[in-house]
Amino acid sequence: MAIPILFVLSVFLGIFAYTTLVERKALGRIQNRFGPNRVGRWGILQPIADGLKLLIKEDIVPRRADQFVHFLAPVIAVIPSILLFSVVPVGTRLVPVDLNIGILFAFAVSTVSVLALFMGGWASRNKFSLLGAMRAVAQVVSYEVPMVLAAVAVVMAVGSLSTLRIARAQSGGILNVTNWFVFRPWGFVGFVLFTIGAMAESARTPFDIPEAESEIIAGYHTEYSGFKFALFQMGEYLASIAMAGITVTMFLGGYNGPGSGPGWVGGLISMFWFFIKLAFMIVLNIWIRGTWPRVRVDQLLGFAWKVLLPMSIANIVAVGMWHYLTFRPLAWVATTLWLVLWFVTLSKLAATENVAPRTYRYAS
Amino acid sequence: METIFWILSAITVLGALFAIMLRNLVHCVLSLILFFLGIAGHYFLLRADFLGAVQILIYVGAVAVLMLFAIMLTRHVTGDEGPREVLGGKWWAGMGTAIIIAGLLWAIIRKDQLAQILPAGGAQTSMVEIGKAMVTDWVVPFEAMAVLLTAALIGAVVIALEEVIRRR
Repeated sequence: MAIPILFVLSVFLGIFAYTTLVERKALGRIQNRFGPNRVGRWGILQPIADGLKLLIKEDIVPRRADQFVHFLAPVIAVIPSILLFSVVPVGTRLVPVDLNIGILFAFAVSTVSVLALFMGGWASRNKFSLLGAMRAVAQVVSYEVPMVLAAVAVVMAVGSLSTLRIARAQSGGILNVTNWFVFRPWGFVGFVLFTIGAMAESARTPFDIPEAESEIIAGYHTEYSGFKFALFQMGEYLASIAMAGITVTMFLGGYNGPGSGPGWVGGLISMFWFFIKLAFMIVLNIWIRGTWPRVRVDQLLGFAWKVLLPMSIANIVAVGMWHYLTFRPLAWVATTLWLVLWFVTLSKLAATENVAPRTYRYAS
Repeated sequence: METIFWILSAITVLGALFAIMLRNLVHCVLSLILFFLGIAGHYFLLRADFLGAVQILIYVGAVAVLMLFAIMLTRHVTGDEGPREVLGGKWWAGMGTAIIIAGLLWAIIRKDQLAQILPAGGAQTSMVEIGKAMVTDWVVPFEAMAVLLTAALIGAVVIALEEVIRRR
């Protein structure tokens, strides 16, 4: 019990520190500049320098702010993100906690993090912070629904909420690979839905309207400085890494890969595969952040309710068809047709929607 | 076990008290969240993990967040309402409610022997059993709830639509 928890705390906090570096380097590459390259070779010591800098910076609290809530918000931002890691099975021999309600626990914990965004934005007594808090609440509440429904598809297929059993259900097949849920029609759709939902839930860039710097300064953490700001960043990054871990567990086969197994060697190989897949998800997140523009508020909410929600419900029906059509080729054809039909219909419906030209009250 | 129970109970009771006694509306909702979390902790302590997780998911993640959202959409965004009396002159109403609830609780505990039903290590509720009970023994109440919620949803949409039409 103690060793996996220590492992989670040390390894994932290290991954967090270096994700910031990788992200800055990759974004620099995409934007045709160098990124951090002064502290150590390739900026390898940059996260340490950043941490030290944020620790010794002055902590400024606005005079009119709600002192207690303002202090509490960054603390609450980090706790749920760390708790999320407790249900992610890292390897066949390394499972922090095997809860029989694993996935549900993850969702319950991740909803608490929205409170931190609200508390931070509200307690700052600043218009921009409050706008950011309102956007954050609206966004997280809407994207939670399609995300949970996308996870329901996997839970139905496995028959359990335990993350360990979900990972085990994806072992076997050719090279321990072909049974990953992402290689099923419903699994692929669920993977896409869940990845979009997770990105929106942790307010990553195409969906970062709660802290859109060109519109509302920095949103809910405008009035935070020093290590409190660092805690907000840490909560956000840890949540997106943990969500990437849960995505890997649910759709990308978890720790399964060629050579993974229950023994010591197999366990080490399984950890290797898990971290490779986790790195893939993190890089995918960074890549999307670097190449996609930020969505508008109405696009954001319309996309969640008009496209993702019906698609995730159609996906649940597809899992039902997959379960009852025992003749596999027929199941493949039927579920694929059903999902493609829904995708085409929904994209047509979403595309015909016209947004009226914007009328400016003061700026025309 | 015993110590955790008392700590959780203290958190729960304090959360409930703060929720009605604090002056700032947002502070009240935040205390209410503390209370919900305390209750969820009690569920976990009784080994009803599913109920505990659902309690956090629904009450903290949805109900309390909607309350906060509703406050944010009003003019009293800061939540400051000035000094507020908890009971006002109506202390008898509070007393009456307390007596009725205490009586009901006592009757329920005495009649159903809730304490005796629970095994020593807490209730062993599995999600599978809850799910099966919901679609077999309790299917009619379950469906009635679904119809009721759908009606409420449609009603909300109709009310919102009227407003949109009026604005045009």
